[in-house]
Amino acid sequence: MINNIVRKRTLEIIPGLISWSLIFTLVLLAFINPVACAIIIIVFDFYWIIRTIYLTTLLLMAHHRLYRERLRNWLSDCPKNSLYHLIIFPVYKEGLDILRPSLEALKNCNYPKDKLVVVMAFEERNPQTKDNAKILESEFGKIFRGYLSTFHPDGLPGEKRTKGANATWAAKKAKEFFNSQGIKDDEVIISCFDADTCVDKEYFGCLTYHFLKSPDPHRSSYQPMPVYNNNIWQAPSFARLVEISSSFCQMIESMRLEKFVTFSSHSMSFKTLVDIDYWPVDMVSDDSVIYWKAFLFHKGDYRVVPLYITVSMDVAYADSFFKTIKMQYKQKRRWAWGVENFPFLIDGFINDHEIPLIKKIRRGFHLLESHVTWAIWAVILVLIGPLPIIFGGVFFNQMAIGFNLSKITGLLFNFTLFTSLVWVILSRIILPPRPKGISWWKNIVMIMEWFLVPFIILILGSTPALDAQTHLAFGRYMEFNPTLKSKKVV
Amino acid sequence: MFSEQRIRGVLFYLSLVAFFAGLPFILSFALGYKLNPRTLKFTQTGLISLKTHPQGARIYLDSKLLDEKTPATIQELLPGVYNIRLELEEHYSWVTQVSVEPRKVVRLEKVILFPVRPNIKQINQGAIASFYIDKDRGRIYYFSQDENAFFVSDMEGEKFERLNNAPEGFTYPLKELKISADREKMAFFNDHQICIVYLNPEKSLLYGQTPLVLNYPNQRISHIFWHSDSYHLLLIMDRNIAIIESSPRTNPINLVNLNKWPGDFIMILIKICFISATFSAARTV
Repeated sequence: MINNIVRKRTLEIIPGLISWSLIFTLVLLAFINPVACAIIIIVFDFYWIIRTIYLTTLLLMAHHRLYRERLRNWLSDCPKNSLYHLIIFPVYKEGLDILRPSLEALKNCNYPKDKLVVVMAFEERNPQTKDNAKILESEFGKIFRGYLSTFHPDGLPGEKRTKGANATWAAKKAKEFFNSQGIKDDEVIISCFDADTCVDKEYFGCLTYHFLKSPDPHRSSYQPMPVYNNNIWQAPSFARLVEISSSFCQMIESMRLEKFVTFSSHSMSFKTLVDIDYWPVDMVSDDSVIYWKAFLFHKGDYRVVPLYITVSMDVAYADSFFKTIKMQYKQKRRWAWGVENFPFLIDGFINDHEIPLIKKIRRGFHLLESHVTWAIWAVILVLIGPLPIIFGGVFFNQMAIGFNLSKITGLLFNFTLFTSLVWVILSRIILPPRPKGISWWKNIVMIMEWFLVPFIILILGSTPALDAQTHLAFGRYMEFNPTLKSKKVV
Repeated sequence: MFSEQRIRGVLFYLSLVAFFAGLPFILSFALGYKLNPRTLKFTQTGLISLKTHPQGARIYLDSKLLDEKTPATIQELLPGVYNIRLELEEHYSWVTQVSVEPRKVVRLEKVILFPVRPNIKQINQGAIASFYIDKDRGRIYYFSQDENAFFVSDMEGEKFERLNNAPEGFTYPLKELKISADREKMAFFNDHQICIVYLNPEKSLLYGQTPLVLNYPNQRISHIFWHSDSYHLLLIMDRNIAIIESSPRTNPINLVNLNKWPGDFIMILIKICFISATFSAARTV
């Protein structure tokens, strides 16, 4: 027991320790050996340029695929089947202005409604939910094969206040519903959506198609491309840029199948979900940990299939600039809290004797590397980069490397601007049509705002991840802190 | 999908090759090394960074014209001595000799190229002992020791006008001229004397006011400043800071004793700031 606690704590400390060690080592080097520090920074800068080219090319490929498949009628391509779709919307404090469009999107989708079962998973501790549930039931209760409103009780033993706990409660209720209807678990595909998720009309056709075509459909999760188009025209520049970047990162990840992990709204086999005993009820990053849980359950034979179809969500923003930054920071820190998957995964690997060692090393390293890189890249590029020049003194600034360091850093910055141009063009393509009442000038603003990228990198690049890793390292665990969204116009 | 993954694989390995193939060149460039294609060995080099004002000067390195113009960096120079000449139309050439050391940079980054001005003219024939340029009003105030008088002209040296005679009893040379904010008074000083001369036009109430000489035989005057009310003067002396009125009946008001002058310079600056702030506050009230 004590060994388990020590092991868990050790694994929790590792990511934060590596990130902070790298940062401190570089800062220390900038003072005691600026030449060595400059060499490391130049190597990192060059690595970053190559990485940016590689990832931007992947983004172009993913974007091309998404664009190519946007008009496909997936339902007509689907073989005959007896599959049902369970759609769970875990709700915390989201109001009707958020929930209604999500259900409207389901209502309007190109898929037989008698194959859809919708669960609105409310939290009992929120007093507003009963009224909202009644209103939504009256509006949408008779459209689908099944419509359930569940109320997750607060404070169940072993649970934390997480989205996973609510979703698990709802999924268990849904299982009772399917059993009562004589529908088997393996005939159901579950989609767990954020409350503001509006699916594309063809989403369920596309999902069914890929499920049926998959060689092992129960050993796969299905990940659509999240975009934040619901209120993108109304959102302030800062928030809009962050969310567009998040969408693009997800598209890039969809091309790297060996690293691809579920994120936000996604789908999977209901049978698998039941087999792995649902979502963890005490972890914040339910969207990614469910993948690792299935991965460990199936001894490493589990994958994520990318769906090149969009699910649209809301850009998170508040009524003032600083509140928006705070909200975005908290949201990114929650995403970065996915670092809790590292101890979970490694602990699972230690207890497992069937997954090949090389696979364990690769997946473990990928997970660790992605979180450490997230936590340090902006710090190195923006903050540590100039340190040797500032603190290197006269001797360093007389050296050729002291002179060339700023030139190479400048080259990196120019290159980042060039790739930003590619991102600007791609962002224009996925943008929904401009709504009525929004000025034409907003088009210009949306292009010019990309000059904010360096400032956003400074604030939201690495700090949320570093913050999350530090919290985990000190055992100060986060509660699920949902991003409250609304459709106010700023 | 499969072909996409294949393309991605190719891209990944290409990136890997580009990184490891490019890294030695990037690092050698950064550190000041140059690959000799014949011997395939890296040679130590140095570089020269050139910045001029104005920009765009032609660069001659050992009499050879380079393609770049300033600002520029001449990279990959073998260690040794080089002659640099910078040329820009209608500017004087700038010439120097530099010694380039391996892995080091020679920074010639504060070069000012002075324009060749055929239309430079002498604006005054007399011996000017001191002058003060009033940019705001486009005027130049002169003191001529030969004529023992003050003059004023515009910025072109035209409209020369005699203002007032210098007072008797003041020991020249003077240290500095200071004009009050209302341009009605001029103060100048030497180590132990301050003189105030009135520059008023004929219709002014102060017209014809005789110059005022204030003596401080026991102290050394370092600086004087006009206060913005154009009536008070702030005196910084070797032992104290004082305020005087520009009137013959003035009694200096001592503000600060500067026992450590000029040792504790920062403290003095703080005191001066404090005094200025107090002065401004008092004026506002």
